[in-house]
Amino acid sequence: MKAAESKRLTVVGIFIFVALIIFIAGILTLGGQQKRFVDTIKVYAIFDDVAGLKTGNNVWFSGVKIGTVKDIKFYGDAQVRITMNIEEASIPYIRKDAKARLGSESLIGNKIIEIYGGTRRSSTVEDEDVLASEEALDTDVMMETLQKNNENLVSITSDFKTLSNRLVAGQGTMGAVLNDSLMADNFRAIVNNLKQTSSTTLRASAALSRFTAKLNTPEGLANQLLTDTAVFNQIRSSATQLEKTAAAAAEMTQNLNETSRKLDDNNNAVGVLLNDPQFAGSLKNTMVHLEKSSINLNEDLEALKTNFLLRGYFKRKATREAKQQERQQTREEKHQEKVNN
Amino acid sequence: MDTDEPVIKPPKRRYLISRKVDRVFLNLYDVYTFVLRFFKEVFFPPYEFKEIIKQFYEVGLRSLPLISLTGFIIGIVFTNQSRPSLTEFGATSWLPALISIAIVRALGPLVTAIIAAGRVGSSIGAEIGSMKVTEQIDAMEVSATNPYKFLVVSRVLATTLMIPILMMYTVFVALMGAYVNVHQHEQTSFATFMVDVFDAITFLDIFASVFKSFLFGFTIGMVGCYKGYNSSKGTEGVGKAANSSVVTAMVLIFIEELLTMQIINAIRSM
Repeated sequence: MKAAESKRLTVVGIFIFVALIIFIAGILTLGGQQKRFVDTIKVYAIFDDVAGLKTGNNVWFSGVKIGTVKDIKFYGDAQVRITMNIEEASIPYIRKDAKARLGSESLIGNKIIEIYGGTRRSSTVEDEDVLASEEALDTDVMMETLQKNNENLVSITSDFKTLSNRLVAGQGTMGAVLNDSLMADNFRAIVNNLKQTSSTTLRASAALSRFTAKLNTPEGLANQLLTDTAVFNQIRSSATQLEKTAAAAAEMTQNLNETSRKLDDNNNAVGVLLNDPQFAGSLKNTMVHLEKSSINLNEDLEALKTNFLLRGYFKRKATREAKQQERQQTREEKHQEKVNN
Repeated sequence: MDTDEPVIKPPKRRYLISRKVDRVFLNLYDVYTFVLRFFKEVFFPPYEFKEIIKQFYEVGLRSLPLISLTGFIIGIVFTNQSRPSLTEFGATSWLPALISIAIVRALGPLVTAIIAAGRVGSSIGAEIGSMKVTEQIDAMEVSATNPYKFLVVSRVLATTLMIPILMMYTVFVALMGAYVNVHQHEQTSFATFMVDVFDAITFLDIFASVFKSFLFGFTIGMVGCYKGYNSSKGTEGVGKAANSSVVTAMVLIFIEELLTMQIINAIRSM
């Protein structure tokens, strides 16, 4: 009986002990997870709107939970002061110029305070410090932007619908490309042409390659042009002379222009000769008179030939010319004989 | 033969309101005195340690297999039934949090209490009721043994202390059942599961559950003992006492659950 009672007592003890272990393990796990048993400091942040943040919500830094929201109280006119318990182990990484902002654990998760930023120039955060806060992105603003995006999307899809309808109906160039068999044949022909062109281009490039290889031969003109300094100097000298010639030609052209301009004017002899019709008329009359005068002069000269004073001269001249003609004829005949022989 | 003697009628009993209403209030008074007597007796010697340990064993250890099996099945079933709703939102990763809240806050204490009410409450009612109808309790009084202390205090103490412990086992086993199901479907690791579980609950949830379990245990023990202690009409009364113990305890447990939930929510929102 006693042994049975002792056994029962032991079993009950074990039963209670195991239950207490479960309970204590649960408490410790929960406490550890909620940072209840770690040394913490108090840090404050002041927000205009905490958007449903609650006491006990988590505080994150670089995506790691470093504490919890201890207290939420109104502050100032209508602001809210958040008291955060931050574990001491994370303090060396949080600077005084770090900022706090409201966030969310997930899209529909609990609200959190997210501490971010901070520079090395600033010292680490201390107990009772107040962190600067940044207002969270307003959900209404996000929804408004999303609505605009939706409207744009509707417009884009509507345009695409119209476009695809036109494509299916064979309208426009692309529609014709997709639906017209003739266009397809043309395209095929174009592609074939392109293929031929590419092969021709390939051959041309090969020929060009050979040509450039020849150009690179040491005795070639192009090579000398590119490499021989003497040839280059000669070309430069020729170019200089050509330049001078061109300048002289330009000057000459200018002079000719000026001369032609002067020829168009009536204030010089040639210009008057060329441009003045009245002078041309006078000149014509003069020439008529001169012709008449020369006819008369010819008659006078014929009369003079018969004058006894000049008759002897004309007779000697005729005799001299006759002799000269005979000599010329004789030379031609001899030459003809030589040619015939 | 003439009967000249006048017929003597029994005096008519006078009730304050009516017979039934008055009986309700009388029962309430009986309950009040019965409960008050427990608090008077529990803190003063002599202490019936052997009987208390025996009742610990009967209430706690004997209920453990049933409680464990039920808890494990509840963990699996609840997880499985919750998954489709969360899958619709693509939030199956929230299953551990949902399960932990449901089990720790409500299901653990409630299921433990209901099973204990069915198993322990009925047995206490039947046991004490049979002792009452066979006049064993009167015999104990005659033999200078305090039957209330020996029978009632030990059993009420056992249920009050063992139900919270059974609740811890139930919660643990139910969470393990939930983990098995979650791991089977989502391949969640044990560490991640436990982190998610404890992330969703608070100290208030745990202490509220423990407090509720104490309350439920006290109710089960006290109802069973009261019904058994006040049973009559022979073996029929024993059956009635056992049945009434279970029904009354369950109704009271649900009422207490409702009230404590309101109180805890009020504390939580403070």
